[in-house]
Amino acid sequence: MPMKGRFPVRRTLQYLSQGDVVFKSSVKVMTVNYNTAGELSEGARKFVFFNIPQIQYKNPWVQIMLFRNMTPSPFLRFYLDNGEQVLVDVEDKTNKEITEHVKKILGKSKETLEKEERKKLSHPATFGPKKYHLHECMCEIEGQVPCPAFVPLPKEMRGKYKAAMKNEA
Amino acid sequence: SGAAGPAMLPALRRCRPGPVPLPALAAALGPGPFPGLCPGWSPRAVPARGRKTRHDPPAKSKAGRVKLPPPVDPEELLVVLERYRQHRLVLSALRAEFRAEVLQKKREERLAAEVSVEELEEHRRLMAWNDEENARQRARREERLKKEEEEQKRRKSEIAEKQARKMEAFLEEKEKEVLQLQEEAKNFITPENLEARIEECLDNPRNYNFAIDKDGRIVKRTVLS
Repeated sequence: MPMKGRFPVRRTLQYLSQGDVVFKSSVKVMTVNYNTAGELSEGARKFVFFNIPQIQYKNPWVQIMLFRNMTPSPFLRFYLDNGEQVLVDVEDKTNKEITEHVKKILGKSKETLEKEERKKLSHPATFGPKKYHLHECMCEIEGQVPCPAFVPLPKEMRGKYKAAMKNEA
Repeated sequence: SGAAGPAMLPALRRCRPGPVPLPALAAALGPGPFPGLCPGWSPRAVPARGRKTRHDPPAKSKAGRVKLPPPVDPEELLVVLERYRQHRLVLSALRAEFRAEVLQKKREERLAAEVSVEELEEHRRLMAWNDEENARQRARREERLKKEEEEQKRRKSEIAEKQARKMEAFLEEKEKEVLQLQEEAKNFITPENLEARIEECLDNPRNYNFAIDKDGRIVKRTVLS
C-alpha cells in the first residue's frame, strides 16, 4: 500500500518543499513541549503534526526534539550556537500563527534566500551550456587566449606547425 | 634511447649488461646496503608470474639464486635525494602557505559575519519583539485564568443559592404540613369527645345518597329513611 498514516500527503516531496521556514545558521536545536490533550495545546499539536516535517526537510542539520505532557502549557525553545535560548510561548495559538512567528524571529528572510539561490546557480568556475553556467568556453573570459574562430592562434600554438617542425627535425 | 642513456648518466654505465668496470668502487663499498656491482643482474630479468601461482614452490633451478637489489650510484643518489628534498620542502611550504591563507579567509568571513553590526541589531530587535509577544501571551493567559476563576466562583455561588432555596422550600413545605396537622388536630376524636361526638352523629343523620346524570348534574332527592 503506497499510503501510510493518517495524512499521507505529509510524506510527499511537494508538500515538504512547500515549507518556507529556513532557520538562520546560528539555530542548532529546536525543542517543542506540548500536551496531547487540552484545547490550549491544539495549535501546538497541529504544528507538530503538519509543520515540523516541513521544517526538518528544509533544515536537515537542526535537531528537533518533542516533549509530551511534561509542562502544563505548550512552548517552543530554540538553542542557538552562542548559548542563547529563545523561548516562544504558543499557548492558544493556531499552527499557522506559530509558523509565522517562528519565521519572523529566526527564519532567513526572503532576500537572503533569493541571494543564496542566485549564488548557488551561478558558479563562476564552471563551464557549460548557458542555461546552467555563466561561461561556455575559456575564450570568453578577459585575459585569456581569444577564440580561434575570431582571432587565429599564433603559429607556435598550432598543431600543423608543431608537426611540421617535428618532421623537419 | 639507448645511446643517450649512458651519455646522460655516466655513473649508470655499470648497469649495462657487460664487463664490470670500476672494481675499486666495489672494494670500497663492499657488501652493504648498496652492492654497487651485480654482474649476474641483467635489467631484462624483471619478475613476472606467468604459469605458476604465488603458492607454488619455486623451481629447483632457482635453488641457489641470489637476488640482489638494483645498483645505485652513491653520488647520483646524493644529488637526487638532495633535489627531491628541496622540491618536497618547497611544495609542502607552498601547501602550508595556501592552507593558512584559506583558513585566514574563512576566519575573516566568519568574524565579519558575526561582528556584522546590523545583523546583531536585527537579532536583538527580533528577540525584543519575541519577548513582547511572550508578555502579551502572558497577559492574555492571566486574563483567561482570571475569567475562569470568576466563572467558577459564580457557578459555585449559584449552586449554593439553589441549595439554599431548595432547603427553604423544603422547610416551608414541612411547616405547612405541620400547621395543617395542627388544624386538623382540633377536629380529632379523643376519648373525652367520644361520647359527645357519637351523640352528635346520631342526632344529625347525614344523607350521602345522590344521583348523577350524563351531563354531570347532581340530584339529591332521595329521602333518608
